[in-house]
Amino acid sequence: MDERFVLVGPRTPLPPPAKKRAWYEGKPLLSMAVLVMIILGCSGCELFIPRDPAYMDLFHASEAPGAAFWFGTDTMGRDIFSMIWYGGRVSLLIGFLATAISTVLAVLFGAVSGLAPRWLDDLLMRLTEIFLSIPSLLLVVLLQAILGKASVVSLSVVIGVTSWTSVAKVVRSEVRRLRGSEYVLAARCMGAGFFHILRRHLAPNFFPSIMFMVVMNIRSAIAAESTLSFMGLGLPLEVISWGSMLSLAENALLSGSWWIILIPGTFLVVTLLCVTGVGNWLRGEGDRRESNL
Amino acid sequence: MDDILLDVQGLTHCYRLDRRRTLRAVDDVSFQMHRGEIFGLVGESGSGKSTVARCVMSILHPTAGKIRYLGVNICDPGQFKSHRELLQTSRQMIFQDSTSSLDPRMTVEEIIAEPLVIHRVRSPRGSLRAEAEFQLKCVGMDPGCLDRYPGELSGGQRQRVAIARALSMGPELLVADEPIASLDVSIQAQIINLFKHLQREHGFTFLFIAHDLAVVRYLCDRVGVMFQGKLVEVGPAQEVFARPQHPYTQALLSAIPIPDPRRERARVVQSFDAKQFHREGALYEVSPGHLVLGEGGGV
Repeated sequence: MDERFVLVGPRTPLPPPAKKRAWYEGKPLLSMAVLVMIILGCSGCELFIPRDPAYMDLFHASEAPGAAFWFGTDTMGRDIFSMIWYGGRVSLLIGFLATAISTVLAVLFGAVSGLAPRWLDDLLMRLTEIFLSIPSLLLVVLLQAILGKASVVSLSVVIGVTSWTSVAKVVRSEVRRLRGSEYVLAARCMGAGFFHILRRHLAPNFFPSIMFMVVMNIRSAIAAESTLSFMGLGLPLEVISWGSMLSLAENALLSGSWWIILIPGTFLVVTLLCVTGVGNWLRGEGDRRESNL
Repeated sequence: MDDILLDVQGLTHCYRLDRRRTLRAVDDVSFQMHRGEIFGLVGESGSGKSTVARCVMSILHPTAGKIRYLGVNICDPGQFKSHRELLQTSRQMIFQDSTSSLDPRMTVEEIIAEPLVIHRVRSPRGSLRAEAEFQLKCVGMDPGCLDRYPGELSGGQRQRVAIARALSMGPELLVADEPIASLDVSIQAQIINLFKHLQREHGFTFLFIAHDLAVVRYLCDRVGVMFQGKLVEVGPAQEVFARPQHPYTQALLSAIPIPDPRRERARVVQSFDAKQFHREGALYEVSPGHLVLGEGGGV
């Protein structure tokens, strides 16, 4: 071999691998801890809530927070402390269920559209855009009218069915981009089957970019439930959720009992902030492995 | 005849631009590759070199023509299917841009072991990790890189990883589509020497596509020159570089800078007018193994 070309440049040994980061570094610890606390509190609320959240104690209606009722009572005499934990269950359930429905729809729709031939892709994407152009509130009212009386499941379906479009668009463009990339081509040359490519190349590469949106969808589903309930389109008053608790707000404002709005509102906002924090961290995580050249 | 590994006959490939127009990227190209040789394919960009490589690798399906690999006609879906395992393990490809040919979310170890995982081959060296480490050492890299991601490697290192991946199945035919074009000159020299060394060691047959004539002259045993989708000249590298016959080859060779100032000043770059290029005609032999595209038989 020609010695002039053999190895050029300084021959330095590789630096020792960087010290592994401690498990807690760079993670949104506060958001995660609060979120876990809220989720655990809501799912195990029977163990510690002092009263039946649905029991109306008319002798103690609209009482301010105190020793007997920690967060006060609402206009119908229900204990807000019990209602918060009990109702959070419904709100979180709707959040997760609606997100699961919308994610499954989005991945299916996006992947089919991304892998389909041009004409089918165009057709599916135009359909998505038509769907996207209808105001979602209108769609929700329409769907709710079709489905009949609102329940936890029907509300999740309605919210899920109206919120998959943006994720589907991202999945579709990611699949389209990845489908033509050379490492997929290389894998195909090596004889990889469709499922190998999907599992090893496509999913790991498009998942981080939808992860953030999926987590954000949990947030918007919870927010959508409260909005709808607040406007009287969502859950009926007797089903306790953070949204239906907030729907008592007008009465509360007139009577000056701030705790009826402020306490469920605070819980809702704190949960949404924590979810956002986790989502932002996931997005950063997703970008970490990209080339830094 | 039995030492011919790859036999390309009348290969033609057209790209559909839109409903009416098609682009004839490769037009009636024929050549043979012998076992264990390094065959260089040169030509300007857009001359159809990469399309030939992609047809050879069955990424593209030729519009017309035959490609026989180990006696199997790979353009025939039936024959392809019945020899799928053989074709997919013994032909491997190296792409031009290692940034996009390596999955950014896989570690070097996973990348090198991927062909073994796909074909569920047990590594002769025990674990997949040991195999990846061995292949990495073969291409002159530190085994400490096994757990790194492609984004943490330099361009030259990434191309080495791509080579290691291609070699992990012990291929019979290696196709490299401009493997050094995206590297800087000193790294190009390293990679070229690595190819030379690996080829001597493993004895694979190597289709090397490049536009850098000096590299082809240094590395290849035989050369094919392409112009506008036609193969205009093919022959032993020494012969083609010493006595180019086709006017396009002559023009191409006259464009190589000479590392000697006096001769460099005297160098005249010939131009080749595409209008005087005769697309029709067949390859005829000017000396043993040296074929030139021309009309009829006379020069």
